[in-house]
Amino acid sequence: MTARRTPDSFRAARRRMADRLATLFSWCATILVVFVLGSILWTLLEKGLPGLHLSIFTKSMKAPGQNGGLANAIVGSLMQTGLAVLLGAPMGIFTGIYLAEYGSHSKLADSVRFVSDMLLSAPSILIGLFIYMILVAPFGHFSGFAGAVALAVLAMPIMVRTTEDMLRLVPLSMREAGIALGAPKWRVTCFICIRAARGGIMTGVLLAVARVAGETAPLLFTSLGNSELSFNMGREMSSLPLAIYQYAGSAYQDWVQQAWTGALLVTFGVLIINIVVRIGIRGGKA
Amino acid sequence: MDVSTQQPVQSAVLKPGRPKTLTGDPFFRGLVLSAGVGVLLILGAVIVVMVVGGMPAFGQFGPGFLISKVWNPVTQHFGAAAPVFGTIASSVLALLIAVPLSFGTAFWLTTLAPPAASSVIGMAVQLLAAVPSIIFGMWGFFVLVPLVAHYVQPAAKALFGHVPVVSVLISGPPFGTGLFTAAVILAIMIMPSITAVMRDVFASIPSVLRESAYGLGATRWEVMRRVVLPWSRQGVVGGIVLGMGRAMGETMAVTFVIGDSNHIGWSIFAPANTIASLIALEFPESPAGSLKLASLMALGAILMAISFVTLWCSRMLLARGQNSTGKRS
Amino acid sequence: MSEHGVNSTLSEGAKTATAPELALQVKNLDFYYGKTHALHNISLDFPLRSVTGMIGPSGCGKSTLLRVLNRMYDLYPGQKATGEVIFDGQNILAPGVDLNLLRSRIGMVFQKPTPFPMSIYDNIAFGIRLHERVSSSEMDGRVEDALRRVALWSEVKDRLKSNATAMSGGQQQRLCIARTIATHPEVILLDEPTSALDPVSTARIEELLDELKAEFTIIMVTHNMQQAARCADQVAFFYLGDLVEIDNTDRMFTTPRERRTQDYITGRFG
Repeated sequence: MTARRTPDSFRAARRRMADRLATLFSWCATILVVFVLGSILWTLLEKGLPGLHLSIFTKSMKAPGQNGGLANAIVGSLMQTGLAVLLGAPMGIFTGIYLAEYGSHSKLADSVRFVSDMLLSAPSILIGLFIYMILVAPFGHFSGFAGAVALAVLAMPIMVRTTEDMLRLVPLSMREAGIALGAPKWRVTCFICIRAARGGIMTGVLLAVARVAGETAPLLFTSLGNSELSFNMGREMSSLPLAIYQYAGSAYQDWVQQAWTGALLVTFGVLIINIVVRIGIRGGKA
Repeated sequence: MDVSTQQPVQSAVLKPGRPKTLTGDPFFRGLVLSAGVGVLLILGAVIVVMVVGGMPAFGQFGPGFLISKVWNPVTQHFGAAAPVFGTIASSVLALLIAVPLSFGTAFWLTTLAPPAASSVIGMAVQLLAAVPSIIFGMWGFFVLVPLVAHYVQPAAKALFGHVPVVSVLISGPPFGTGLFTAAVILAIMIMPSITAVMRDVFASIPSVLRESAYGLGATRWEVMRRVVLPWSRQGVVGGIVLGMGRAMGETMAVTFVIGDSNHIGWSIFAPANTIASLIALEFPESPAGSLKLASLMALGAILMAISFVTLWCSRMLLARGQNSTGKRS
Repeated sequence: MSEHGVNSTLSEGAKTATAPELALQVKNLDFYYGKTHALHNISLDFPLRSVTGMIGPSGCGKSTLLRVLNRMYDLYPGQKATGEVIFDGQNILAPGVDLNLLRSRIGMVFQKPTPFPMSIYDNIAFGIRLHERVSSSEMDGRVEDALRRVALWSEVKDRLKSNATAMSGGQQQRLCIARTIATHPEVILLDEPTSALDPVSTARIEELLDELKAEFTIIMVTHNMQQAARCADQVAFFYLGDLVEIDNTDRMFTTPRERRTQDYITGRFG
């Protein structure tokens, strides 16, 4: 009896041990991840908040020691992100409609879906190089417009994906009911399906905004950056990420300070959009 | 026949007072179709521009471009080996860190966490993915680099400095910037997407399977190890490859902490360069039409090829994983 | 086989003296889902301004037939119908038929309520606007009229602008019927219109059908034998893609001719 029981309890102890170790490891991993997120946010607040004055929003970038702000970068970011979404949204949403409503089984649709996924995960710096070659080099100067186009190429696939996904959630019976009234397909698509999915499609647009608002790499070669306040998209244009990149690597205390403040603005802007969207999705599902 | 059926359809079926139904169908179909084709054209254009832009470099250096370790703007001699090495080394190192981290987190989120905590922490993890890469770069540069320089590398040296093979891997002066730091940053950046994929495929297991294993008296870890993991292996690998693709293309975060050195060596703490960071750092000094710019474009083409191949692999794995594990939510 | 002949004489006999005007006439219809032969040589008549109930076990083809009558099957590649369906003197299965127009004349209501994601008012206006240009005051009248017809007006007149998806299931289904009749169709197809509703809502819809048949030809698929008995003037029984029997309702439920019909009606299989 005892001879048989001993190995059993040994084995049980080993199994319990393995379970405990795995549990411990899992807790540690999760805590570490949350800690890292906390550390990033804390660092941003700690270093960024002291520089958050009104002058950040009212003054443009100036030489070190001259108490400048980030107004030009904020304006540039808003303008380029806005134009990028204006350019990318129609194409992204139409492509999503094509994938969900028109080409679900065709070879062409499969390729479009595949390529859109490729663009979604393509290194953003390559998109920057691409736009440099077609919109900057031929014209001989950098421009905010080129930057916006680069961002649009990055924003578009996100909207393709969400539009398609959301339209697929619209029940077939809704489409049939529209068709049964004698509505042509395009009206069913535009006035019923898109209406039903509009919340989700807006989510995709917001996520795209959040994604491109923080992009730096594609702007390095397209809009270049500009320390003057400029509304001319045909010329070099600043943006928050570019200003952060330029300032963070500098040796000047006040520039680094402003880089942190800019980083704080960008990050919290992006995170707030994400939180709103995610809570919205969850609320919509419930 | 045809005429006799067609004609009345137009006249008799129309009721008085009703305008002819105007079908915008062909127009709308054309519109959305051309948007879809436009997406194909964009990728096609990216490929053409990269390859054509890189042509002078391939022409000048031939296949040697791929294996040459030299990157010397002064002598106008450029080779891809060092940044390609840096790209692969940093990504592989990042995976070594990210995979266990993601697995642990996904295990916690799907099995251990109370439901309320799971959704909150799950959201926090996804928020990590939303943080712009330049922020990771700054955080890495100001927080992680000093940590690595003052604590991690010295500690590693003190512990393993006399172990034969390992000592080579951790040799070199403690700059703080280098492959290891870049890999840590990359790991943090790609871990949310790997975790998300893992969580989805873990959750896609029929609960009967899980429950019957628990019914046999299996511990949570055994259920994960013997039931969940084998079931979802393919999806998990797909998620990891996807993460690797992301890591290889990442630019800004790496640029801050990689150390900018076109050097191939054994030490994981040594400064290096990835393709993306090299392009970002060298581009400003590359005038249009120069051989250097062409070399950067050629590097871009290589990066594109690598990342598309990994994406394609991950897609295949995830698609097949989906077939066997059911639909992803 | 000889079923076709039997049926046509039957339905002629059923409607007696004044040869009834026909709203729809199905002749030798076969239907295929890809390679699956789902309906076999179906022929039957739908008299004008009457209610036809179509019954039979799941998968017998009754819903399939319904979806042929407004060519809903056209949405899905691989589905094919042969034979003839005569409506207003024409074969609607022939190529070149204006499907949008056809569907505006042969309306359809579905199993689950399908309110569009817009206001109650817009749900009804949507269908009208598709086919007619009407002034806004006329539109108000048309919407009110449609809602009154389905006895929904008093319940929703104060919230016409609120979202239709916020209504109860029974209200939603009545809205869908209102939406369909607002476009003035001649035939209304109903695909198990009450199967997702509670008994009270079901009773209201059934009452409604009784009123509507004064103006419309109604063709209804139902699982519910009592419903068929209560509402229909004639009943068609389908089994495994065949039209087994069609007769007026009383005779169908009292003295069915076919063994299979009797078995189904008495609940021996289902």
